[in-house]
Amino acid sequence: MRTVAAVVLAASFLAMSAVAWRKHPGSRVGLLAAAIGVLVLLEPMLPGPERVVAAGWATVLIHLVAALPSGRLGTPAMRLVVALAYLNTVAMMTALLPRELVKEVGTLVAVLLGAAVLGMQWMRWRRTSVPSRRSLTPVLAAAAVMVGLLLAGNPMWTPDASLLDMSVLKVGLVAVPLAYLATELRSRIERGGVADLVVQLGNAPEPASLQAALAKALHDPTLTVGHWVAESRRYVDADGHPVTAGGPGRVATRVDRGGEPVALLVHDPALLEQPRLIEAACTAAALALQNERLTADLRARLAQLAESRRHVLQAAEAERRRLERDLHDGVQQRLLSIPMALSVAESAIPPDAERARALITEAKDMSLAVLDELRALSQGIHPTILTERGLEGAVRELTVVASVPVRLTVELPPRLSAEIETTAYYVVAEALANVTKHADASRVEIRIVQVGERLVVEVADDGRGGADPEGSGLRGLATRAGDNGGVLRVTSPVGGGTRVRAELPCE
Amino acid sequence: MRVVLAEDNVLLREGLVRLLAEAGVTVLSGVEDAAALLADVGRHRPDVAIVDIRLPPTRTDEGLRAAREIRRRHPGVGVLVLSQYVRVSYTVELLDGGANGVGYLLKDRVTNIAEFTEAVRRVGSGGSAFDPIVINQLVQRRAGEDDPLHALSERERTVLALMAEGRTNQAIADRLDIAERTVEKHGTSIFTKLDLTASPDDHRRVLAVLRFLNA
Repeated sequence: MRTVAAVVLAASFLAMSAVAWRKHPGSRVGLLAAAIGVLVLLEPMLPGPERVVAAGWATVLIHLVAALPSGRLGTPAMRLVVALAYLNTVAMMTALLPRELVKEVGTLVAVLLGAAVLGMQWMRWRRTSVPSRRSLTPVLAAAAVMVGLLLAGNPMWTPDASLLDMSVLKVGLVAVPLAYLATELRSRIERGGVADLVVQLGNAPEPASLQAALAKALHDPTLTVGHWVAESRRYVDADGHPVTAGGPGRVATRVDRGGEPVALLVHDPALLEQPRLIEAACTAAALALQNERLTADLRARLAQLAESRRHVLQAAEAERRRLERDLHDGVQQRLLSIPMALSVAESAIPPDAERARALITEAKDMSLAVLDELRALSQGIHPTILTERGLEGAVRELTVVASVPVRLTVELPPRLSAEIETTAYYVVAEALANVTKHADASRVEIRIVQVGERLVVEVADDGRGGADPEGSGLRGLATRAGDNGGVLRVTSPVGGGTRVRAELPCE
Repeated sequence: MRVVLAEDNVLLREGLVRLLAEAGVTVLSGVEDAAALLADVGRHRPDVAIVDIRLPPTRTDEGLRAAREIRRRHPGVGVLVLSQYVRVSYTVELLDGGANGVGYLLKDRVTNIAEFTEAVRRVGSGGSAFDPIVINQLVQRRAGEDDPLHALSERERTVLALMAEGRTNQAIADRLDIAERTVEKHGTSIFTKLDLTASPDDHRRVLAVLRFLNA
């Protein structure tokens, strides 16, 4: 019976030691638990006088309880009590006093020191915060039971039973490592909570819900998350108020990623005793926050890109208009003066100078041909009629030369940017060209109207439909509309006519 | 023939003055913007005002608007509009007050002095002169089923197009290498098909042209 009890107790402490070593390699908890386990196993095997050495495991147990949960003795008082416990054990072994007395007094001292440790741990438990109570509670409860049993079984008032031989007591002591293992298991489950957090945060959280998720995962409702703002080099909360590290009873943990600050978690100091949990939470939070920041960054870049693309388009449009005007008012006019002068020369030549007349006529025709090409070039750079008449006049010209009767409705906003005007013109021009080429339509309806903040340009025919929106002309139009912040839709059921509709931004 | 000229490019303006003088046309004044043109037309009452479309200050369509203004204010003054581009819609606008004494030509046409001065004289004496490019665009567009132009034969359409340019029967006959009487016969047939038989000949001709241009 005694052996079985010793083996069970030793095995439970050895198991505790193994778990502690694996989970907290830097902590002394594993070492202390291992020492207890070994000593408990050795005790029944040793002969009489040496047994008392092995009985020192009770002292090591006092040390272990005092050192929980971190493995270090937190206060000078705690260190003193543990030192006294070891001194007591040495005194018991040196046997300066009569054996029986030593055993009884020494055991009583040991039990009292154990009670003192328990009392100090209980004081600490009362001061400490919720998260750290959670890790202390089971072990302290188990230790309290142990001390209670020790006091009850003290040989000073129960002389028949030798205290340390009490098998029942040993089995009861199994509660200590078991409580420790239970706590470890729970913190594992809590890390599972962090895993849930990672999943939760993956769904692009609002800054406020990130704080809520972290507070829940870390069991600290007072937790505050500060987001790093690179521009102002400070942390702000979800509402943009600055978050600082200070405050009594508060601790700040920095969350960095790739050497860059990401966030600041301001929380209960007790969380520091669960470095694994907070580390996991920080990693999860860093991922979420960095993801959030990258998304915001990307959005800002996209907006920037769209803005600069708009500027490029505006500049290109202005440049094209300028080029068309320069060509028209400059080169084309000057060039025309050449065939004009040549025609005067032609009429001034004496009737018998046939060869000179032929050369002059040739020169005149060549300069007129150049002028023709220049005109086509200028028209391609920018539709000249847009310069002369604006969108309405330009579209009206397209409708009068159209091969199909057109009904035209134009209601333009008071101001229309140059690039939107040109885009709208090309939509009508391309759509009408398609009607002529493919539609076999009997009439066309064109509407150019403002709807809210959009200019709607619509060309609808009653032709055979089946137009390919991916054809180069329509695709080019869609790209052009998109570049200008608009959309182009083509509806063309076979046999049901074709409707080309562009919606372009206008103020 | 007395003309007032509005052209903002000095080189072209001087060139035109010289060219017209060469052809025996009197240029009363050459101005560079629409305001000066309206003032000089009011003062000189020329036979023809020759107007460039893009004039200062905006160089968009000031010349065209001035041309319409002259036709409204001075029905006796012919207006000949010149431009680097010719537009059907501008032609329709110019014909708003009828086809008398109005013309619209591509600027390049001035380099054919004989044809150009002929056009100036025609506009100056109440006729018309429209650019073949405009007329071609109108001919090429397909007439609808209910369009009376649909009833015309190919030859008749050609003759009507030349009429629309403002050419006389003789000029059309020369161009098509046919007898003037044949042109007249085509003309009568066109007027009948367009249901214009009741009007006196000159007027019918104008109406036919209008019908054609406004189709």
